[in-house]
Amino acid sequence: MSQDENAVSKILDDMAVKILMVEPGDLSVVGDLLAAAEDLLATEGEAANLPVLHAMAHAFKSALERMIMGELSDSAENYELLGKAITQIQEAVRKGSDMDEAGVAAFAQHLSEAGYPVTAADLLGGDKSLAEEPAQEATPMESLPAQDKEPGAAAEAPAEVSPEAPPAPALEQAPAVGGGVPDFLQDKELLGGFIEEAFEHLESIEVNVLELEQNPGDLDIVNNIFRPFHTIKGVSGFLNLRTINKLAHATENLLDDVRNGKREMDSDVIDLVLTVGDTLRSMVENIKEVLENGPEYYQDLDITSQLEHIQTLQEGKSPAASAPEAPVAATGTAAAGAATGAPAAAAVPAGGEAQSSSAGAAEPATAPEAAMPAPAGAGRPQGGESPAPAAANGQATPRKKMGASIKVDVEKLDALVNAVGELVIMQSLVRQNPLVAKIADPKLIKDFSQLSRITSDLQHTAMSMRMVPIKQTFDKMIRLVRDLSKKSGKEVNLVMEGADTEIDRNMVDSIYDPLVHMMRNSVDHGIQPPDERVKHGKTPTGKVSLRAYQKGGNMVIEIEDDGEGLNTVKIRKKAESRGLVQPGDNLSDHELNNMIFMPGFSTADQITDVSGRGVGMDVVKKAVEKLRGKVEVQSQPGKGSLFTIRLPLTLAIIDGIIVRVGSERYIIPTTAIQESMKPERKNYNTVHGRGESLLVRGELLPVIRLYKLFGVENPTHTDPCEAIVVVVENEGRRRALMVDELLGKEEVVIKNLGGMSDVRGVAGGTILGDGRVGLILDLAGVIASAAE
Amino acid sequence: MTLAAEKTDRRAGEGLQGVSELAGKYLTFTLANEEYGVGILKVREIIGVMEITAVPHTPPYIKGVINLRGRVIPVMDLRLKFGMAAKAYDERTCVIVVEVQGRNSAVQVGMVVDSVSEVVNIAGSEIEPPPSMGSSSESDNILGMAKVKGEVKILLDVDRVVGEGLLRQFEEM
Repeated sequence: MSQDENAVSKILDDMAVKILMVEPGDLSVVGDLLAAAEDLLATEGEAANLPVLHAMAHAFKSALERMIMGELSDSAENYELLGKAITQIQEAVRKGSDMDEAGVAAFAQHLSEAGYPVTAADLLGGDKSLAEEPAQEATPMESLPAQDKEPGAAAEAPAEVSPEAPPAPALEQAPAVGGGVPDFLQDKELLGGFIEEAFEHLESIEVNVLELEQNPGDLDIVNNIFRPFHTIKGVSGFLNLRTINKLAHATENLLDDVRNGKREMDSDVIDLVLTVGDTLRSMVENIKEVLENGPEYYQDLDITSQLEHIQTLQEGKSPAASAPEAPVAATGTAAAGAATGAPAAAAVPAGGEAQSSSAGAAEPATAPEAAMPAPAGAGRPQGGESPAPAAANGQATPRKKMGASIKVDVEKLDALVNAVGELVIMQSLVRQNPLVAKIADPKLIKDFSQLSRITSDLQHTAMSMRMVPIKQTFDKMIRLVRDLSKKSGKEVNLVMEGADTEIDRNMVDSIYDPLVHMMRNSVDHGIQPPDERVKHGKTPTGKVSLRAYQKGGNMVIEIEDDGEGLNTVKIRKKAESRGLVQPGDNLSDHELNNMIFMPGFSTADQITDVSGRGVGMDVVKKAVEKLRGKVEVQSQPGKGSLFTIRLPLTLAIIDGIIVRVGSERYIIPTTAIQESMKPERKNYNTVHGRGESLLVRGELLPVIRLYKLFGVENPTHTDPCEAIVVVVENEGRRRALMVDELLGKEEVVIKNLGGMSDVRGVAGGTILGDGRVGLILDLAGVIASAAE
Repeated sequence: MTLAAEKTDRRAGEGLQGVSELAGKYLTFTLANEEYGVGILKVREIIGVMEITAVPHTPPYIKGVINLRGRVIPVMDLRLKFGMAAKAYDERTCVIVVEVQGRNSAVQVGMVVDSVSEVVNIAGSEIEPPPSMGSSSESDNILGMAKVKGEVKILLDVDRVVGEGLLRQFEEM
């Protein structure tokens, strides 16, 4: 007891000194103060057991938080007032239970003057919410003696690794306060910031955990895992997200034990951290839903089993067989909705949630973290770089530089890109104006070329603003491969290259599913089990490489495995049984291999729960083609397979061939075009009642007369052998499109047709060089409507 | 779109109540020999006819799309929409660009008309409810009939004519 009192006085003395030293504007010291205030709260709960004292410390800490958030000015006068407030707390501690109300009143007045309105009555128990220690009967900490969890040095040396000491458990039972939907919706802006931050933190946790598996015992990585939990805990407490706060808090404590060498970071802990990460993610997703759709969507997950699990681990036992597993959703998406069983009914059981509205705020984030979700939201690189510099210590990390990066609304960005696109078009229109083109003034010509340089620079910059590194998506694959290899008993080493390659942010989500599919495919069908690999003279551990790079105007993603490779014999058999290939047809291995992208094609012998249900690669191909990309596979039996996805760098621009049909012009996406030709008479056949076809490289392709399909009245050619045919391919179907003329290749900006969506056969429009609108063909639609 | 909401109310009242809420400024134009008006607040701009790119698989009254300063907007021929005889475009032909509620956002649509007349201020007392023509959709397109200086002007409900015409185009195919 006296020991505790000493500790309290010591902290208070420290605080008093710090307040004297503080310079207005130096928020890092305020961060130290805040940490000290938290230590104080953690300690005095044991010490004086005085709710009033606790309330004072709590009020003081809240005042500091407001100062950090910029709600209180950090002026010399205010520091002076805070100093006086500290003196009053010291008094109160000295007097112990004999403390008088006058001191409390003085304290309240100091804080109120500084801009944190609080009354003596509040502190003296008028307001329970301030004086309550968060009830933690649900957390495992209770079973641990308090001093165990005090990283001793934290109390006196703020410059310790831990930014704060975990608080001791509340010994008094807080009275139950009604549950229901928490009041976290008060500050939507902060909440929005938190949600985004939380997702990034959770991602970084996952990446770091998996890295830790490779380098066990690396304390830096442990710290990298600890910190995001700490931040989530702090900010969620600050925002009254109690369940999230509790879970993050408990996990943080466990990790703290690891940091302090009290326990090993074994696979049990790693599994738990991953599971908790999934649970937290689903909770944050739920909060996001609430924010978007209203409080009735709130679900409070029952985290008791996870908390118990954490406790078990903390006590050094191996988890029981019944350890809660948060199943990852089958698609591997972030929504681990099923995590920790079904969410409990929306109403929170009052008993376990006996926390005042300030719950968790009892140990909020340290300075820089609390400042992070500030509405400005500045200083965070987009694109999921793992936050937190490696060296963290008790000193507040310097505040991130404003202006290093700012968040911009995606809509604004799209508007900018559109405007720039129009500028480029407008400029070429002006230049091509016959009158302007005739002016032979050297200055004008020079100015024009300068102008086009500027516009193309501008276009380039605008486009690049929409790009994010693909790292985020790649990082999610680490976890996927880990889970898959665990499940299948195969050893897989995932090698990633070029994760900083940039991709249009609108594509990131769309590319995720196909990638998951292909990674599954590689681990499931490609890599053999270790014993089989050894039999074939390979290393027992398989290797899957995930690569991204830019090539020309494309982004290329490669997935390579050194496994089994594709079995062309099997594929051929299957293709023949499905009538895709006639026996005796001469097909190259490459052609056969690429048959796996046909719908309903799967060569898996056994149907695992991973893949092989006969859906698979065709889904990948569809998704990639939707992004106007291409996917193909190369494979050597026994050596492995290489899947290559080629994507356009951006969705806003399409690379197309402009064709003329009569007086109309259409744009055909280059990715779909295989070749174009003037057909020879001998290759042209009409089948009575079945349309006409053209023999191209041994395959009979149906001919589609675009002028007929689109009702163009004045085609130049009605004889296919006079016209040009363009061989296109879409979802495995090849067709010969008959057009009058090829006008050239161009990169065009895609526009929608203003209110006319889903016009069959038309994907959108673009403004051509002469200012007219040209229609971009949607080949799936063209082929479908031609078939009718 | 409170106007739309009000209109529904009005329809619910069988058009018996006054149509004074329709008072305001209207842009008037001619189609064949009739005078029409559209609420000035719906009008974005008036342009001459430019080259129109035909869009396949759309009803005949959707003439196609034009480039309006970098935006692609659909163009509808009101004569064809109302089942009148087509007329070759000349120098008097205009495209009135109106903004209407599309499927999920406001969209701009061009309406081809024979010629644009003027902007007139129409008082509520000058407006009568649309004549009842049975349940034909024609009367649905009309907000009311205005008598201005002895001339009848048909006040169009562009949200219905253009907005729904655009959305309905595929059902009519």
